[in-house]
Amino acid sequence: MIKFENVSKVYPNGTKGLTDVNLQIDQGEFVAIIGTSGAGKSTLIRCVNGLNDVTSGRLFVNDTDVSKLKGKDLRKFRRHVGMIFQSYNLVPRVTVLKNVMFARVPDMNLFKVIFGLFSKEDKLVALDSLNKVGILDKAYIRADQLSGGQQQRVSLARALTQESEILLADEPVSALDPVTAKEVMDDFKRINEELNKTILLNIHHVELALEYASRIIAVKKGKIVYDGPSQEVTKEILDEVYRKEA
Amino acid sequence: MRGKMNSQIIEEYNRRPKRWLYYLLIFIILLAISIWSTSVVHYHGVSEYGALIAKNIFTGIFHPDSSLIFNFTETGLAYLLLQTFAIGILGTLVGAIIAVPLSFLAATNLVPNWLAYLTRFVLMAIRTIPSFIYALLFIPVVGLGSSAGVMALGFESIGMIAKLFIEAIEDLDMGVIEAMDAAGATTFQKIRFGVLPQLLPDLYSILLYRLDMNLRDAAILGLVGAGGIGAPLSFAMSGYKWSSVGAILLGLLVLIIFVELISSRIRKKLAKG
Amino acid sequence: MYDKIFKPKKIELLTGEVVEEKVSRTWIYWIIIIIIIGLSVLLTNFDFSALSRSGLFLQKLASMLPPNWSYFDKVLPPLLDTIKMSFFASLLGALLAVPFAILAANNIVKNRLVNGIIRFIFMLARTLPTLVLALIATYIFGLGTFAGVVAIFIFTFSFIGKQLFEVIETVDMGPFEAAEALGVSPLKAFFIAVFPQVLPTYLSTALYAFEGNVRYAAILGYVGAGGIGNILNDRVNFRDFASVGMILVSILVTVMIIDSVSALIRKKIA
Repeated sequence: MIKFENVSKVYPNGTKGLTDVNLQIDQGEFVAIIGTSGAGKSTLIRCVNGLNDVTSGRLFVNDTDVSKLKGKDLRKFRRHVGMIFQSYNLVPRVTVLKNVMFARVPDMNLFKVIFGLFSKEDKLVALDSLNKVGILDKAYIRADQLSGGQQQRVSLARALTQESEILLADEPVSALDPVTAKEVMDDFKRINEELNKTILLNIHHVELALEYASRIIAVKKGKIVYDGPSQEVTKEILDEVYRKEA
Repeated sequence: MRGKMNSQIIEEYNRRPKRWLYYLLIFIILLAISIWSTSVVHYHGVSEYGALIAKNIFTGIFHPDSSLIFNFTETGLAYLLLQTFAIGILGTLVGAIIAVPLSFLAATNLVPNWLAYLTRFVLMAIRTIPSFIYALLFIPVVGLGSSAGVMALGFESIGMIAKLFIEAIEDLDMGVIEAMDAAGATTFQKIRFGVLPQLLPDLYSILLYRLDMNLRDAAILGLVGAGGIGAPLSFAMSGYKWSSVGAILLGLLVLIIFVELISSRIRKKLAKG
Repeated sequence: MYDKIFKPKKIELLTGEVVEEKVSRTWIYWIIIIIIIGLSVLLTNFDFSALSRSGLFLQKLASMLPPNWSYFDKVLPPLLDTIKMSFFASLLGALLAVPFAILAANNIVKNRLVNGIIRFIFMLARTLPTLVLALIATYIFGLGTFAGVVAIFIFTFSFIGKQLFEVIETVDMGPFEAAEALGVSPLKAFFIAVFPQVLPTYLSTALYAFEGNVRYAAILGYVGAGGIGNILNDRVNFRDFASVGMILVSILVTVMIIDSVSALIRKKIA
């Protein structure tokens, strides 16, 4: 369960990222965050795993106050929250399997990491994740030789290998063509339904958001302007969210 | 996810490329060469004498010989440094004069292959001879002093200037020249507006880079008696005049850093166009 | 300021807009260069007649051929020494450069003070000419190959270090961020996400340094730092140019072999 309590984030240069956000997301929900660029969607998501820190308020993930975590504790916490990025963030010259096995690195010592000595179990778990997203046959191919959609699936597999309960996604399909985007969203849906993971994703493509997510949160200028079921989103609400300020 | 392991997955696991043998082999070869090469290290320990010298050089650097520094005549530090600088500049120039035409002769996109490879072989032979051999060879010819240093540096520079300039020539965008042909340009115009604008910035960049290195070598050549600051440094050291050594080292440091800063500024400007 | 003295030309376009064309500064650059060259000639008392005496130079060059082949067995031990010196020093320099380059890269270690100190060390080590370092090393550690190893090590360390941290700073930090989001510590994240991206450049630079070091090691013997420079200097003093030729030929062959092997390896890495 994710809980925001009066969370605000102000950047060092004075820009207000988030203002007084209050939210509660239960385990197993599929939530899409919409809003214009710079509205605060990314900031909100990145607070959940501590990539952005919180200037005031408290953020709880399963009873842990994320805003208070630092260093080693923060890293330990992050293992339980998976993240997918818009640009996939895979290491290009490295094989798909190795990229997925990154999720196992926190448990390995430095020596093994430097020389890439993954165990048999590491490999089996990673292969299993790849199978779940349907690209088992690409395991030993270099990551940069895959298409965009396939690469995003690899990062999904990486997040699955973490065995985390929560999956964050920062504009996961923005760099993909419409057909592939739907395929990846289908993957998210499957993971949400079959494995009961909480999905919290950013998306600027409103139709996709409405189609796949059960709950929509709309952000405008760092504030939440709508929080409710996707069926109840009306045209007026969308106009308000995406209206350009004069 | 635990428990029942899909047979498909196990199959895929067994399909994994087993490159570890290859890496192990490379590692063993490297290890062998490394062990073989350590035989060259005879550490006699830093003798008491050696430690004393290290300490002296240190103190020398922090208490440099001010009479040397503030001496603005021909035996002073400033003059010697400037002379070292001058040797570097002229040496680069000489190197450029010889290297540029040779580079054209060695470019595979301009001359027949056999000529290119022959020239490259000659260039490589020239490059292998260390600068101080050139210096030793030139001294009987032009006498002791800076001239020998200039010639020696010049010849040594040929190697690197040519190597980099050949790359620049071969990278030439022939398309531009073709386009000019199509527009009816004369040969002179083609060279002036098509070839030169592409090559000149590269050339300047290469020369600046080489100038940097030549300065360091110029300092060394003095050790062979080819002018500049090398000789006074050597004398100071063998005479145990540590404060002089310190002054010279500091001066050398300042000169090199100064030139490096300016040359990297200029190179950045060149790159931006 | 230049523009105030040489006012830019004003051109009026057909649309009525007025555009400024700055006067070219090239001719001033040329004047400066010519002045510098002129001063240099003065400072060095460069004797232009020297160029005409190059005939004598070529004669001396010719006296090196044919090389004294029988001298080869005297050449081999110091030649091997030279190779060993370069390899060992290059290896050590390359290995030690990695942790220091990590510390100097401002996208991995965000402490500006640490970055600055390490970069300063790199610059210092790189600036002093290797031969000068070797000379000093012979005074401290005594004559012989150890001094040469020290000098080459210091140079290689700073050369590779500088190239490495510069490359690290240009790397795509996306995978690194993803690794951090996974809960991986910065050091481990560096090795899995950043290092694979810089590996080709790192190996390439290390090989290049090794190539250059073999050439350098040949010279170091001149100041007594071991290797082939010793006997080279020796034979030149004795005017035994045929043997000098033999030595140079051996160096040439060695360098050619090493360069080709190195080029092969570099092609495989890319």
